[in-house]
Amino acid sequence: MIIEEEKNKSGQGAASNHRASFVIAVAGNPNAGKSTLINAMAGARLQVGNWPGVTVEKKSAEFEYEGRRIILVDLPGTYSLSPYSQEEVIARDYLVHERPDVIINVVDATNLERNLYFTLQLLELEIPLIVALNMYDEAGQKGFRIDTAKMASMLGCAVVPTVATRREGVDRLIETAVEFAESSNRREMMAVSYGEDIEKAVRSIVEDMKQHGAELVNHGPSRWQALKIIETDEIVLDEMGISADDNFLKQATHHLSKAHGEDLETLLADTRYALAAGLTREALKKPETRKRELTERIDAIVLNRYLGIPIFLFFMWLIFKLTFDIAGPFTEWFDAVISGPLTHWSAAVMTLAGAPDWAISLVTEGVIAGVGAVLIFLPPIFAMMFFITFLEGSGYMARAAFVMDRMMHAIGLHGKSFIPLLLGFGCNVPAVYATRTLENPRDKALTALLIPLMSCGARLPVYLLFVGVFFSAYAGTVLWSLYILGIILAVMVGWIFKKTLFRGEAPVFIMELPPYRMPTMTSLLIHTWEKGKHYLIKAGTFILAITICIWFGLNLPWGVESKRDSYLGHIGQAAAPVFAPLGFGTWEAASSLITGVIAKEIVVSTMGEVYTPKDGDDKEKNAPSVSEELKQIGVSFVGAVGKAVGNVFSTFGIATISMEEEEGTESLKTAIKKNFTPLSAYAFMAFVLLYVPCFIVLVAMRHEFGTWKWAGVTIAYQSVLAWTVSFIIYQGGTLIGIG
Amino acid sequence: MLPLAFLKEDEVAEIVESPHRYGYGHQYRHGAWKFRNGVDQLDCCRKRKHSDDHLLNIGLRPGKYVRMISNSGAGPLVLLIDECRIALGRGIAMKIYVRRIEA
Repeated sequence: MIIEEEKNKSGQGAASNHRASFVIAVAGNPNAGKSTLINAMAGARLQVGNWPGVTVEKKSAEFEYEGRRIILVDLPGTYSLSPYSQEEVIARDYLVHERPDVIINVVDATNLERNLYFTLQLLELEIPLIVALNMYDEAGQKGFRIDTAKMASMLGCAVVPTVATRREGVDRLIETAVEFAESSNRREMMAVSYGEDIEKAVRSIVEDMKQHGAELVNHGPSRWQALKIIETDEIVLDEMGISADDNFLKQATHHLSKAHGEDLETLLADTRYALAAGLTREALKKPETRKRELTERIDAIVLNRYLGIPIFLFFMWLIFKLTFDIAGPFTEWFDAVISGPLTHWSAAVMTLAGAPDWAISLVTEGVIAGVGAVLIFLPPIFAMMFFITFLEGSGYMARAAFVMDRMMHAIGLHGKSFIPLLLGFGCNVPAVYATRTLENPRDKALTALLIPLMSCGARLPVYLLFVGVFFSAYAGTVLWSLYILGIILAVMVGWIFKKTLFRGEAPVFIMELPPYRMPTMTSLLIHTWEKGKHYLIKAGTFILAITICIWFGLNLPWGVESKRDSYLGHIGQAAAPVFAPLGFGTWEAASSLITGVIAKEIVVSTMGEVYTPKDGDDKEKNAPSVSEELKQIGVSFVGAVGKAVGNVFSTFGIATISMEEEEGTESLKTAIKKNFTPLSAYAFMAFVLLYVPCFIVLVAMRHEFGTWKWAGVTIAYQSVLAWTVSFIIYQGGTLIGIG
Repeated sequence: MLPLAFLKEDEVAEIVESPHRYGYGHQYRHGAWKFRNGVDQLDCCRKRKHSDDHLLNIGLRPGKYVRMISNSGAGPLVLLIDECRIALGRGIAMKIYVRRIEA
């Protein structure tokens, strides 16, 4: 691992001299403002990168500081070093095994006691520690007075007040961190004293470990290990290769258990809590009376028994409306640019360069038509990610989970599972990863199984294409009906799973509701980009490669007369009978569905390629000049901005779904109109919604669960579900004569 | 003493007893979960009993004063502990015992 090497390199020249690079881990309770602080520290020099290796959630950022390279590691929020959820496991494992050079413990100044409880646990790791007393301004507004000097002297570490959102105290924090990393003298950090009995046991275990040799000593400081042994922390015991029944352990804790009962863990936790409470009493002066805060007043409405769900539904509706209203005109513009000027320019350039016809066709009909069909949906996807990020950042997301808790119980889950499901509307892949905030494996697996039923952004291109052709008059309603269909089926499937695969007790719901905050624009943009960039990267790599393969699939063997006789055509023809009862038993539809397993937006790009006429010779002779076209692009962009603004304020429907009407891939539209009826188009959209999730989601499931089992279950149940539902729609519709 | 779930909105109480071995902990230890559906390989929850102590870690522990912020008589409720709002399922709130404090 990169970080590991860095540490070794820099670790050699210890003492108090200048170090080339070091690692700072940023840890703390959830909602204490870790990510914001990291953004503030790294500033414009920020390079947020996914962690190399297993986890997506552990982020690192690098920046230069006076000739040093500082690596910041953003750990998931944790309440304790005895982890509860998988996220906490990630944070704990990193701190214990990778041992960063410095820990910055982000402490929520408005919530000292519980935060300090974690600080005390961190101190036991014996890594230089700095407390960033964040949200210092909010504490001030509440009338809290915190004696930071006293806190620092009691804890034996540095305490730096910060306001991450306004970069206050951030420079001092960096300076202190550098100083801590480079100074060689060990600081006298506060050690929790657990009382004579336990301290004696700790000493004897430490002695034993020394005799046992080095293999035991490699998992954290020995005092910490000894305490964990006393707590019978099973993770630590596992790591050390001791079982809870070992004689070694029994001997060490025998007299303790006798004196204090079996539950030493709670005893130690109580001691730490008592100390945290004491520290808080010493350092914090609270005002006599509490003001009723804004958050409480908002919550009184938003969490209201009767209003809660309507308010939530209103917000959802608003997000959809804004997403499509704002992004619609830009999609249209983007589409016009790609299918018009971009296509002839590249054809012209390649002709000038003397490229052979097949290469021109590969680029224009394969790459530009295929990747372009996917890229034009960047605006709605980023817009939706933006609004979801806003909900997360403002604190409403946790309320949505609360409001939905009762409904979620119907499908055997609790409110917290609702958040991954909601994220699934943006993209299923991060949604699958978001299940790691759930504590128990049952909830996690059940939630992950339902996520693919949430209609993700990648399915949108398919709907928009078909809705544009067949349902432009009531586009919004048809589009909504698909999302709702997914949700209703998720409830039904969830209920069935609850009764069969996932019998068991109702899960326990505990969740912190953060205060409402207005997220800063920078953090919104950063997190939107973080969420959306996967889609962009996917288009540039994965989908690019696939579209090229599809082009070859459609044009091989060399010199095929019609696409029907190409390799892909043959595969499509073989599969077509399966789809015949669903109303779309053509080889074109079948081959797009097959390639769509790789990513659902590929359904559209395959159609784009399949339905383009074979001979692309009749290029427009009188193509407008480049400068005219450039001007046109500019003018239409301005038009799109105006339209987006107009949409937001003018109507209360989803205004712009009919966008594909005028421009774009005309031949594709005509072809679709010829090959589908409105009924079979709806059945096709339902099929695309429900059938096997994209390959990337399956990989994410494998990744999260360490087994293909749940991916397999998903493939099986979704195939059956998709076929059945489409069958009912098409045959039912034909029966009652809508065909 | 009364279950936390019976506390009315705006009432303040001291936590007297909270179950420190509730939830799923024992299942992991005895492997009951494994027989049920074989999800035990999930690395997210290596064998451990700590899930029980989440209440403690999040700050709900005996001796602590809490204020009921939202309790509609059904479904989850919201508590204020220090400056922190915790949403809690009704099931677990029935297992925590509190003593009402006159405001």
